[in-house]
Amino acid sequence: MWSDVVALFRAYMGTGLIVMLFCISLIYLWLREERKHIRILFLYMPVILLLLYFNPLFSRLVYGMAGNEIYYRILWLLPITIVIAYTCVHIIGRLSDGKASRKKLVAAALCMAGIIGVSGSFIYNNPYFHKAENLYHVPDSVVHICDAINVPGREVMALFPMELLQYVRQYSPVTCMPYGREAVVERWTYYDPLYNAMEAEVVDMAELVPLVREVGCHYVILPVNKERKGKPEDYGWIWFGETDGYVIYRDPARELVIPVQDPVQ
Amino acid sequence: MVTQVLILAFVLLVVPIFAGGCVSRVDGMQGNLVFRWIGGQFLLWAGFQVICVPLILKEREFGELVNFFWLYMVALALLAAARQIRRWRGKVKAGVSRIEGFVGRKSLGEMILWAVFWGILLFQLVQAVRLAYADGDDAYYVAVSAITQDAETMYRKLPYTGGETGLDVRHSLAPFPMWLAFLAKVSGMPAVTVAHVVLPVVLISMGYAVFYLLGVRLFPDKRSRLPIYLIFVELLVLFGDYSFYTMENFMIARSRQGKAALGSIVIPFLLLLLLIWLKKLQEGEKVPMRLYLLFAAGATTGCLCSTLGALLLCMMLGIVGLLGAVCYRRLRSLFPLAVCCIPCVCYALLYLMAAD
Repeated sequence: MWSDVVALFRAYMGTGLIVMLFCISLIYLWLREERKHIRILFLYMPVILLLLYFNPLFSRLVYGMAGNEIYYRILWLLPITIVIAYTCVHIIGRLSDGKASRKKLVAAALCMAGIIGVSGSFIYNNPYFHKAENLYHVPDSVVHICDAINVPGREVMALFPMELLQYVRQYSPVTCMPYGREAVVERWTYYDPLYNAMEAEVVDMAELVPLVREVGCHYVILPVNKERKGKPEDYGWIWFGETDGYVIYRDPARELVIPVQDPVQ
Repeated sequence: MVTQVLILAFVLLVVPIFAGGCVSRVDGMQGNLVFRWIGGQFLLWAGFQVICVPLILKEREFGELVNFFWLYMVALALLAAARQIRRWRGKVKAGVSRIEGFVGRKSLGEMILWAVFWGILLFQLVQAVRLAYADGDDAYYVAVSAITQDAETMYRKLPYTGGETGLDVRHSLAPFPMWLAFLAKVSGMPAVTVAHVVLPVVLISMGYAVFYLLGVRLFPDKRSRLPIYLIFVELLVLFGDYSFYTMENFMIARSRQGKAALGSIVIPFLLLLLLIWLKKLQEGEKVPMRLYLLFAAGATTGCLCSTLGALLLCMMLGIVGLLGAVCYRRLRSLFPLAVCCIPCVCYALLYLMAAD
């Protein structure tokens, strides 16, 4: 467990440079900060918190209650951003009170900003950020597919490829799926023969079709470029449409009753 | 679309500012418009949590929650109005709203610094609308909100796949997605748009508003240092992606999730309250009930955001409370702070019972 706690702290630190700046700030505040209430909040509290974080008894207790995945959130209580920003301003303030020239003050501020920039990592360089395709912030393909297969007044069951799973029910809660995001998170060790058949390098229709019918899917969405063994039409599937690089098949084996809309409503 | 945005602006800006009148006279923050906004929102969030969890556990419909929460908002607004009228009658000037530091006479250098701060903030808000962040957890949280908006049930459908299920008690104790669904319901905007476009803009702004309030307390006599401090905060947030787990990453990339609000708004807000509390102890003054009310609202909001919020906020209040009581030799001041933790203890107990 101790090694887990240390590993989480290492993962939280990243390169460790910002945390190092935080530690330097703590030392600076210990030496220079005179206001007691700020010392308590920015100096004593973080130190006690770190002692608690690395305390084996405490970590065992929290692990038992909340699990190991979220233990790192205790580190959110460290006021890293506020303490570093406050220290930077404190230093600039001291320089200013010491009658340093404006040029020197600007240079010091730019220098500190540069150190922060070099020590950290620019958030918009994160590879998970990408240009939004629409105001829903889900891929256009999900919007178009769901709009095409949805039936007013009822839910439909559809099988989606892995890359779309996490978006489907955010956009369309009336589109049900035989499996969802739980299938793609590796640490959850989910096993489903349907998922394996669907995500195989070459989709074997003879294997896929019976599994799809077992879970009662109205539609199956396959990437256009995905290699297939066998033709979907040979198994009774009907080509329903094609959009954004995906082809939609309707399996008539599962009845899709369209509810009659009450004209009064 | 315009009507939807106006409704959301009313619910997320006008109502909290109005409700904030109940707590706006906290030491050093009298009449501060930003404090009214944040304080009011915390009162609303806390009320939402108190109303929402019992209704979920009783498996009631979402529509009931919407009605009860509207009632609560109206009641809070009436209370705030009554207090305001009383203040006007008493000719207390504290009701005058202002945004300290933003207005008033400034040097050219200070104006440039404020312009830089606003420029960087605007850049972040534009990015929040322009860029999408692919996070798997949205498949749960946003889907739960979308289901609730569509089906009127709360935590009784499987978010990943659909279909009925038993009540998900553990997640329902931190029903931040229900608040999101409430916003979607009252505005008519799809929950997915509220989550990915509206909330990032609002919650990132709120995060910086709390940092600004902290700055007001940290530099009470040197307001010219406030914009420099805020620019450094912005830089630290923008360059805070040094790991996947940082609060800064959550604040910018996953702001629509409750845990992000916990890290970037609730925890800094409680730091602000603790700063005010410690100052009161230092000066040997009586701590006003309003401050404890905000502590309790903050603790309850932490539970709304994340089930771990209960533990984190109790830890923070416990550590700082003990330090304050020992350093200033005012052990009796611990008692009301402990009372403020009661909501956290209750939700933590419910969580443990659900886990069994």
